[in-house]
Amino acid sequence: MFIHTKQKRLGLASALAAGLAIALCSATAIPSYAEESSPAAASSAPAASADILRIATSGFVDSFNPFTSVYLLPTNTFRYVYENLVQYDAESGAPTAGLAEKWETTEGGLVWTFTLHDGLKWSDGEPLTSADVKYTYEQMMNDPLMATANGSLVSNFASVEAPDDKTVVITLNTAQAPNPGVEIPVVPEHIWSKIDNPSEFANDSAVVGSGQFTLEAYSANQSITLKANPNFWRGAPKISGIEYIYYTNSDAQLQALKAGEVDLVTGLTSTQLDGLKGEENITTNVGKGRRFTSLQLNYGSVTPSGEEYGTGNPALKEQTVREAIRYAIDIPTLMEQVLQGYGTVATSFIPASFSEWHLADDNPVIQKFDAEKAKSNLEADGWTVGSDGIREKDGEKLSLRLLIDADDSTQQSISEFLVPWLKEVGIEVKAESTDADTLSSRTLEGDYDMVFSGWSVNPDPDYQLSINLCSSRPEADGSGPTTQDGYCNPEFDALYEQQHTELDQTKREDLVQQMLALHYSDVGNITLWYANQLEAYRSDRFTGFTLQPSDGGMIANQAGYWGYLTVEPVADAAAATSGPATGLWIALGVVVLAGIVVAVIVVTRRKKGADTRE
Amino acid sequence: MSTDVIPPGKAAIAEQQDEGRESHRQSFLGYLLAKIGGAAISLVMVVILGFFAFRILPGDPVRKIAQSRPMTAEQIAQLRHQYGLDQPMLAQFWNYLTNIATGNFGESYVYGKPVSELIAQYFWPTIALTGTSAILAITLGLWMGQLAAWRSNSPYDQVATGTSLVLWSVPTFWLALLLLMIFGGTLHWFPTGGMVSTGIPTGTPEYFLNVLWHLVLPVITMVAVVYAQYLLVMRASLLEEMSADYLTTARAKGLTEDLVRRRHAVPNALLPTVTLVFMHIGGLIGGAVTVETVFSWPGLGKLTYEAISGPDTPLLQGTFVVFSAIIIVMNLFADLLYRQLDPRVRRA
Repeated sequence: MFIHTKQKRLGLASALAAGLAIALCSATAIPSYAEESSPAAASSAPAASADILRIATSGFVDSFNPFTSVYLLPTNTFRYVYENLVQYDAESGAPTAGLAEKWETTEGGLVWTFTLHDGLKWSDGEPLTSADVKYTYEQMMNDPLMATANGSLVSNFASVEAPDDKTVVITLNTAQAPNPGVEIPVVPEHIWSKIDNPSEFANDSAVVGSGQFTLEAYSANQSITLKANPNFWRGAPKISGIEYIYYTNSDAQLQALKAGEVDLVTGLTSTQLDGLKGEENITTNVGKGRRFTSLQLNYGSVTPSGEEYGTGNPALKEQTVREAIRYAIDIPTLMEQVLQGYGTVATSFIPASFSEWHLADDNPVIQKFDAEKAKSNLEADGWTVGSDGIREKDGEKLSLRLLIDADDSTQQSISEFLVPWLKEVGIEVKAESTDADTLSSRTLEGDYDMVFSGWSVNPDPDYQLSINLCSSRPEADGSGPTTQDGYCNPEFDALYEQQHTELDQTKREDLVQQMLALHYSDVGNITLWYANQLEAYRSDRFTGFTLQPSDGGMIANQAGYWGYLTVEPVADAAAATSGPATGLWIALGVVVLAGIVVAVIVVTRRKKGADTRE
Repeated sequence: MSTDVIPPGKAAIAEQQDEGRESHRQSFLGYLLAKIGGAAISLVMVVILGFFAFRILPGDPVRKIAQSRPMTAEQIAQLRHQYGLDQPMLAQFWNYLTNIATGNFGESYVYGKPVSELIAQYFWPTIALTGTSAILAITLGLWMGQLAAWRSNSPYDQVATGTSLVLWSVPTFWLALLLLMIFGGTLHWFPTGGMVSTGIPTGTPEYFLNVLWHLVLPVITMVAVVYAQYLLVMRASLLEEMSADYLTTARAKGLTEDLVRRRHAVPNALLPTVTLVFMHIGGLIGGAVTVETVFSWPGLGKLTYEAISGPDTPLLQGTFVVFSAIIIVMNLFADLLYRQLDPRVRRA
């Protein structure tokens, strides 16, 4: 018996030893892993200081290659790292100087001639010339791999010429009014032309750029480090750098802000924002967003060649029914209840922050909430109330499926209001809660009646308008172009072509307004609101963010780079804490104490046991 | 709980006793081969399932990207081609199989890197987290479990067992968030996420301490949530031993209660426990997904979580196969260890 006991003990001991060995190995392996992935961070080691802005993020990074990266976080980072030919301004998103100080159009918008600023320099000191612009654009025009991310922006380019160092001439296939110089990060030819396979270049450390910051280092799922670029043509920013720090979920981000581990958090929920009110040293920012939230109606999914598919309720093809749904929804109340008022009640799909394009609230086509009107219009159209309170026509019940993303609490709350409101006017709504992926594939297959949708809109409305064209509808198998809601109206298409080439800004605005009004009266969708972007920052460390739009706009996710350009450290800012504080010493203390206690117990027991032999 | 493990052991014993001493060596080899063969078949099934399970799931990564940025139909087709999604399902499956045979899990859509490289990178942080948690949870659970059984129904037993059960029932993410809010957000004792503060040179003692500091809250969460299962197993299996005759013999020899417990009861009770410990290690690694997600720990769990929202199919396949392989190997190890530890088997 004794022998067995001893052997078993030995077994347990060796098992534990093996476990410990694993832990030790891995603990020593971690540094080497981190070393591999972030050589620059390891070598330069800037301590979190008073003038480095730390931003919490959870964004995906595919790479920092501006030709191929398609995710939001790297794409936003490019705004700070690479200057575009033309920028969107902070006030309202109108085109303003980027690399080009001025530009002119000839031949009715077919030829665009840009003049660069004098003395532009890359962050490594090399001169930045029109050859760099030509090189960048031509990469995207000639190599489909290099067009992965931004091909749509050059699809109308016929040729790009650089007659001298300061001039870029873009000749288009067809004339266009939207400035072609926006949104495309211009890369340094002297770096990129030496890379063998530029479409596979990760571009994630010691990046040479032309923006206010340069990308210094990137450690996947840990941090992204940007450093101020003294060669930026508008002058160096007032902070020495930005550090994006990864937090997987927004609750952790919020706690990190409270703890002072990050300085800026964005994308908060209204509950989270309200919870921060009264918190010392933290300032909240309720920014006008550039995203709309809408109720998408399946009024018959049709391919561009006219083939119908999907299972949409035919009742939705009737304008009266679509209008009745809109009449039945009290959007201001809904927004108050669901978003706690953090938003702007929508008209059409161009957000109010782009005031020149936005469909005005007092436009004659705008419908206000009117449940009685919904009822009487439906009644007049032959939809009579059945015994169960649901309207029917020709034996068909007015019953609609509403798809809800089960992970989206906003959609859940909206549907809790929509179901009774529509019931009130005699429309039955069956809410079907499902996961986001099923939802998106059902939407694509046209297997729905109503679903929530939303898009972030750019300052120039051209793209958003273009995905409402008849030709933008995808094929039944989901291939082909992207559509906003499957909308198709030849009159809308004709207006699109007009505004697309209308160089007179006022006339173009008017055409866009007409298009939005048309889409609105067709009930192409029911746009509910433009939600605010809720943000919070450590006002004990930083001040002076520039908002876009400058009147009540947002700091992060701008269609521009203004947010951090003017931000500066507060004069007597507390240096950030980054090292182990009290916590570690408490934990170590507890561990040591526990070790001592265990050791004492073992020793005393050994002594006792020594007297007792079997 | 223990029933699902005992049968192979018991079967092995019966088999041994029937065949006798002569055939011991051969049958052990047979047993070994059968177990390894079984594990290999499971692994092959996992590899096949890994492909189809994530293909059946709805969700189109390319559409998802096209929903958030301006893209022409050509760009969408280009991305589809790049991801290999334009090929027929069978061709994709064949590629997957031939690639996996050479250890190539394909390339992640999101990270644009080979999946095997990503898994290798994120493997060690997960091992550090789960390894530390496993050792602490096993030690704590077994130790408290044997004390609880020895003094069963005493106030100590009730408090220890009750507490562990409450913690076991608590949703992991809730406990994790609670700890995060109290010790991270409010008291500022511990960091609110990540593995190491930025800007600390790797390989230095400071770096090691910093990782340790970041490790505290995730480890506490994991230990709190899982130690109950070790405690309960240990308690149950010691209770079974408590009425055994050999303990009476031991007491009759004049040994103290403490020695009877430590030298006689506990070693025998450990037998079923050890196998269970290894089986649960697999589950522990699965539990890392939640903890890593809450504490932004850059490990395999977080990688999986993010791959799901892609959906980054190659990466999901890779982590699925790796997680399953760890569990299969741990179970195999448990089977073999049980045989090795049981003296009846060894002496047969």
